[in-house]
Amino acid sequence: MRHWTPYLLVAPPVLVLASLVIYPLLYNVSLSLRNYRTGEFVGLHNFARALDDPQFFASLRATAVYVSGTLVIEVVGGLALALLVHRTIRSGWARTLVYLLFLIPMVTPPIAAGVIARLIYTPTYGVLNVLLERVGLIRTDILWLSEPLTAMFAVISVDVWQWMPFVFLVCFAGLQAVPIDTAEAARVDGAGGWRLFRHIEYPYLRSLLLLVMVFRFTDTFRVFDHVQVLTGGGPGATTEFLSLYLYLIAFKFFNLSYAAALSLFVLFVTSVAFSVLSRYLGREVSE
Amino acid sequence: MKTGRAKLAVLMLGILILTSTAIAGPGLPPKPAKLTMAVVAGGETKGLKAILPMWEREMGVKVELVEFPYPTLYEKLVTAFQANASTFDLLIADDPWMPKFGSEAWLVPLDSTFGYKRDNDIFPVVYDLGSWPPPRGPVPPGEGSKARHLYAITLVGNVEFFMYRKDLVSAPNTWGDVVANAKKVNEPSKPFYGFVIRGAKGNPVISEFTPVLLSFGARIFDNNWRVVLNSKAAIDALTFFTKTLKSYAPPGVANYDAAERAREIATGRAAQGFIWPAEITDIVENPSVSQVVGKLGYTLAPAGPGGKHAPLIGNWLLAIPKGSKNQRWAYEFILWATSARMQKPYAMGGGIPFRKSVLLDAQMNKTFPFFKAMADSLAAPPEWRPRTSEWFAVEAILGTHVNAALAGVETPDEAITKAAREIEQHMKEAGYYR
Repeated sequence: MRHWTPYLLVAPPVLVLASLVIYPLLYNVSLSLRNYRTGEFVGLHNFARALDDPQFFASLRATAVYVSGTLVIEVVGGLALALLVHRTIRSGWARTLVYLLFLIPMVTPPIAAGVIARLIYTPTYGVLNVLLERVGLIRTDILWLSEPLTAMFAVISVDVWQWMPFVFLVCFAGLQAVPIDTAEAARVDGAGGWRLFRHIEYPYLRSLLLLVMVFRFTDTFRVFDHVQVLTGGGPGATTEFLSLYLYLIAFKFFNLSYAAALSLFVLFVTSVAFSVLSRYLGREVSE
Repeated sequence: MKTGRAKLAVLMLGILILTSTAIAGPGLPPKPAKLTMAVVAGGETKGLKAILPMWEREMGVKVELVEFPYPTLYEKLVTAFQANASTFDLLIADDPWMPKFGSEAWLVPLDSTFGYKRDNDIFPVVYDLGSWPPPRGPVPPGEGSKARHLYAITLVGNVEFFMYRKDLVSAPNTWGDVVANAKKVNEPSKPFYGFVIRGAKGNPVISEFTPVLLSFGARIFDNNWRVVLNSKAAIDALTFFTKTLKSYAPPGVANYDAAERAREIATGRAAQGFIWPAEITDIVENPSVSQVVGKLGYTLAPAGPGGKHAPLIGNWLLAIPKGSKNQRWAYEFILWATSARMQKPYAMGGGIPFRKSVLLDAQMNKTFPFFKAMADSLAAPPEWRPRTSEWFAVEAILGTHVNAALAGVETPDEAITKAAREIEQHMKEAGYYR
């Protein structure tokens, strides 16, 4: 009996995991190897089709722009904000107020964020154009959601607004681990802002930054909600990211087999990214 | 003594059965506790909700409405149909769903099951829309040999027509008139625009562009589902839509949906545009939000160069799923809700009617000034989305490229060529041809 006890104890979570993750995954693999209408086995046809699908590559390009844009802005911006607050705000209540303000975007549902942003970016009465006109920066409305470049900017900006605070909070928590006396000693020795960061603070943040990048990469790669509300993938297909294209294939074209193949591709990319970053992360932690 | 009690019990039971049948009405099974109806969440059910208490008072059967957002409703219905579940006794379905529901035989035929008789007061297109296989146009492979039946009857008589500021311009009959009107009043510096486009990607821009495309004599499919979109007429239509009409439209219309279009009209910033009935009652003729109440005229969708008017139909249909355990009562409800007697209270309660007698009623037209345009559009007859369950894919493909052309990302020529190629590829994969 004693021999079986550990197995019995881990059985419930393993069963839950199997039914919620492993079975759907295997079903998805099986679906990707079949014809979506007849159910007949077609081997790797659905994967090969992706290589011959210009819309797929267009969505991949758009996703790459979106992921790299959001990742760079969120990590650099979040880190800069954390350093700014860490170095300039000393009062406890002021810091609490900053945390609370930064929590608001994170708890806003992405759909609501999309709707609000749609109102902000709308031409003629959208608050952004009105403000820019009032301060004399523009004379005619910028068509934020109708031009390819500005539409990409608009969808990235919503992600940045929502999730840069997450990077800020993690980095800020990391900065609290920096020993005050070490930082003070560095200052006394003449270390300026950049050198203080590079040699004293950054070593404490390195592993956290990698962790944040793993989370943000996987999240931005799967982005859907606010983009669907804001641009619906338009104009044309310029903001039709992989997740939106996948939705189109699955729920408009009803080609579940091809959608399954594409979703496995998404899984593969995020898994590779996750494992690469995890390896670095592991190295950082062990150091 | 015991025998006497048993006799009395049998007698009481007999009386109970007889009276319950009498209450139910001749030929009707005993009343169900309730009828469960799947409906779309939104303004489409306003009229239905207004008349439901009357049904419950008259018939003594409760109707429970289960509301779902548009995309969820379709998924819920398909899931219930696939399981042949008795979840719903009634449903309302968007008319482009009919090809899927009809070809899968998920609905109860109203004619052969209950002997439904057609009514001259109802526009023939309403019956065409609820029939499967479709009585005109191309029929999906394998469906042509099936016996045609009527599976659904319109509840919401939605049809797209045209609105214009009657205080500023005259009623346009052709696209040429629309452009002349737009030229006359267009003044972006005010700002006031000659025409407003609902141009957002996908369904919005296709609802807007299809009446233009078809009025120019172009088609998406021939009678064998071969794609004939790549034609001079289609390129001319898209050029007209994305260049001429857009030049009189507010900036940024490539991202406009129905709400933005109605807002431009209601705030007095645009003179002309397409419209669906619900936008009129909810926004442009609603005194609490509109500045142009009483200033709008309504007419048939403008004719193209060949003189063809092509209003687009988008009815919501009442039907009975095969899994329902209360089919007879559900049918009774359909008869009652679509009857001539209920059509006026339905319209007064905010519903979109579909009967000639109400749409052409002079008194009703005073209250609802767009009813005549609706009647003209339903009589035209209006165009419907090609009767294939692949329509959503076709709409997504065409909607992406038309939107790209409207935003200036693709030329009209490129957009039509790419859309035609992708639609053909999709139809091939869907098994319509090799």
